[in-house]
Amino acid sequence: MNLIDIIEQNTLWPLTGGIHPAEMKHLSNQTTIARLPLAKTFYIPLPQVGDSALLVVKVGDRVLKGQPLTKSAGAMYLAAHAPTSGLITAITPHASNHPSALPELTCIIEADGKDESVPYHSAAAQELSKEELIARIREAGIAGMGGAMFPSHIKLRPAAKIELLIINGVECEPYISSDDRLMREHAANIVAGIEIIQQLIGARRIVIAIEDNKAEAAAAMTSAIAQSAALKPIALVRVIPTKYPSGGEKQLIQIITGKEVPSGSIPAQLGIVVHNVGTAYAIRDAVVEGKPLIERVVTVTGGNIEQNGNYWLPIGTPVSHVLQQLKLRKDKQAQVIVGGPMMGYALPDANVPVLKGTNCLLIPKRNELTHASAERACIRCGECAQVCPASLLPQQLYWHAKAEEYDKANAFNLQDCIECGCCAFVCPSEIPLVKYYRVAKAAIRKDRAEKVQAEQAKIRFEARIARLEQEKQEREAKAKEAAERRKAAMNNDDKDAVAAALARVQAKKQAQATTAPSNDAIAAAVARAKAKKQQAISATDTATDDKKSQVAAAIARAKAKKAQASASDTSAASASTLDTPAQDSKQAQIAAAVARAKAKKAAQTAPAQNNEVADKLATDGVEQINSTNDKAARVAAAVARAKAKKTAATESSVESAEAPSTDQKAQVAAPDDKAARVAAAVARAKAKKAAQTDEQAASETTLTEAPATQEKADEKQAKIAAAIAKAKAKKAVLSGSDDAEQTEAMSKQADDNSESSSVSAADAKKARIAAAVAKAKAKKAAEQDNQENQS
Amino acid sequence: MLTAVVLLTLLALVFGVILGFAAEKFRVEGNPIVDQLEALLPQTQCGQCGFPGCRPYAEAIANGEKINRCPPGGTATMEKLADLMGVEPEPLSAEAQDQTKKVAFIREEECIGCTKCIQACPVDAIVGAGKLMHTVLTVNCTGCDLCVEPCPVDCIDMIPVAQNTRSWDWRLNAIPVKTL
Repeated sequence: MNLIDIIEQNTLWPLTGGIHPAEMKHLSNQTTIARLPLAKTFYIPLPQVGDSALLVVKVGDRVLKGQPLTKSAGAMYLAAHAPTSGLITAITPHASNHPSALPELTCIIEADGKDESVPYHSAAAQELSKEELIARIREAGIAGMGGAMFPSHIKLRPAAKIELLIINGVECEPYISSDDRLMREHAANIVAGIEIIQQLIGARRIVIAIEDNKAEAAAAMTSAIAQSAALKPIALVRVIPTKYPSGGEKQLIQIITGKEVPSGSIPAQLGIVVHNVGTAYAIRDAVVEGKPLIERVVTVTGGNIEQNGNYWLPIGTPVSHVLQQLKLRKDKQAQVIVGGPMMGYALPDANVPVLKGTNCLLIPKRNELTHASAERACIRCGECAQVCPASLLPQQLYWHAKAEEYDKANAFNLQDCIECGCCAFVCPSEIPLVKYYRVAKAAIRKDRAEKVQAEQAKIRFEARIARLEQEKQEREAKAKEAAERRKAAMNNDDKDAVAAALARVQAKKQAQATTAPSNDAIAAAVARAKAKKQQAISATDTATDDKKSQVAAAIARAKAKKAQASASDTSAASASTLDTPAQDSKQAQIAAAVARAKAKKAAQTAPAQNNEVADKLATDGVEQINSTNDKAARVAAAVARAKAKKTAATESSVESAEAPSTDQKAQVAAPDDKAARVAAAVARAKAKKAAQTDEQAASETTLTEAPATQEKADEKQAKIAAAIAKAKAKKAVLSGSDDAEQTEAMSKQADDNSESSSVSAADAKKARIAAAVAKAKAKKAAEQDNQENQS
Repeated sequence: MLTAVVLLTLLALVFGVILGFAAEKFRVEGNPIVDQLEALLPQTQCGQCGFPGCRPYAEAIANGEKINRCPPGGTATMEKLADLMGVEPEPLSAEAQDQTKKVAFIREEECIGCTKCIQACPVDAIVGAGKLMHTVLTVNCTGCDLCVEPCPVDCIDMIPVAQNTRSWDWRLNAIPVKTL
């Protein structure tokens, strides 16, 4: 059976549950709707500002009656207007008309008493398109006047096809008579409003539902409908039995059509829309007169008020002003209830504004309403379940709500509770059931919001982790690429590195050659280190290798001897200064390196099959130096470089000499340490001497010099140094091979000496500084190289 | 006798094949309990449990970690975890702290724009750039506290979220009533 047939049948369905509380409407419905003097201050709450709406006024502005205070393009936008002319004194949080009275952003208007209005643009509804109608209603800020305050323009543009429009004039709650009086006095305007609603939604039938305790209102509406050509054929006034809560949207639909709105859906899905009579009246005002919703009829009633009745109150009028005007009887227990006694809430603060949904201000005498005395235990009588209009099980809901088992309460469809208060009304134990449900509903709402937030947080967290991971990978890829590039560059320099190492070895040898007899110990240590090394090698190598190692040992020994011999030749003065740069242990290692380098040289001169082992020895030696005493090796390198420079300077052309000289300057300038400079000077001196005494070396240097000038400065130096080292090594081999046996004996003696010899801490420090300088230099040179290579 | 043995063997084989196939086809990836546990956790990603986020803690619980390590979740979360894991509820390990939700707030005039809080925020709820003022997106802030510690100028406060008329919990007793 479709909706139209149901309506045609003219039957009414009974409301599930419901109660019959004392109506008390006679207190206020006897007089016509009156007006009160304007309040001095108006409070217009702007809850959407900062969320979806923007302010269009500012503090200090003078506003006129009906002037909009906000603007927004949002779908849920509910416009706010100035209710009278005056000055905006503040836009600040102020106590709200809410059971909690929590502060809410409020525009405070100081009325100037002139009540000047902006010009209203009237129009004929029939000539306006749907969009224009909706726009006018939207701009007028019309909200559901029944109490829900849902923006009407949304309800007037339903997604589904609407068959039935129900105009709600039921007003079932006790005490309230604002809709009753409005229908009695302004039936024609309400009908005009209904015409506009009908124009928008095009329903096939219109039912105006009025309770049978409002006979006058029903009569007024019936006659108004009869006069409307548009509505006469399709609209009818349906008088329904008085029962609370027939006025609830879903309950009214059930009474009129017998259909239940499914849980979680809206009436539009059944093809039904419900509007309040007050809303219809406001829509007519907005469309026809262009007047925004700035005032409404409010029932002010109760035993503590002398002048019960209905009043046109501008939206934003403070409740305290109304109470003042209507002579509140002073009562210690005086309270103001917004709404009716069933669903209303007591205000904790009377200085709050009247809102668009405020239909009643109830100021009861102390014993006028049944005050919930001490709550007693639920006796499971089941009264509440019988009166529940939503067919719920209030006692179960109560049980779970009280135990804070909200998921279980939800399983009993707590969300379908309309908070009508029937269950609490009939409860013999006077349990404030609705209060429990509200707390539970709030907790469930909060829980849901937290769930949503947790979900969002998780998504954001995961997105962040993914992003960090991606960044890390990108970084790694970049680092890898850079490392490869470096490696490629390094490979080119490998030969230079070897040359540098050789140069270092050579430098050590030179240093040793000039040092005093005290270096006997070093030589001995060198020999020992050498021997040890050989032992280690020979242990792993084959027997044929033994021979080579022996050769190397002999060379080492010879070297030691030669060092001793040459040292005795050099002047004592130079020896004393030369002593400083090198530390005892360091020198030993350096010497070892030198010896190994020599051995290599020797191996090179020896038969071809020995080459491999000698190479191994040499690389071993280099490695040992690098790992065990980097510093010493670098010092040696620096010295060698300095020496090479010197040689180059003395032997080659002027232009090639320029580069090393500046280099030397840098070498001297960079460290402020005397020791380092001394070391550099020594190295230079030695280099000169080496060049002078060793003609072969010099000639070799000049030979390599020629191509080297075209290359980078550092590379050149390294090669020169390498050449020198080579020459030296050769020489050493020649002189050393004869005295091998002698050296062995000497090394034993030196062994003893080494234990007694010690070098002061200061010396060590200087050496370290010199090393650091050398290192810095080497690095600089390498960087230069790299740059040049890249360029 | 023989037919029965053969028949049963065949049946065993057939069912074995079916079960083996089903085990492969409908294999459950990962431990489903971890997802359920994670759904119960508050997703603040605060790390107060000692794990770097809610997911790692959920995994740890699935592997036998204690259920009382989540201070932001409070007792309610602990009880849900206990229920799911079938273990006894335990009091929270962290000292009892108030459960009011807080969000970070940057005193913007004091912010030096070091971006340290941005790096610390697990949910990217802080916007800003180097040497420019930062601010917190309160909607996305989980109140995990992780940004407070890295701030070199201590300009981050944790502010309790104020209740408004929409989030009000109907605890009527909490309202101070003014007499008219």
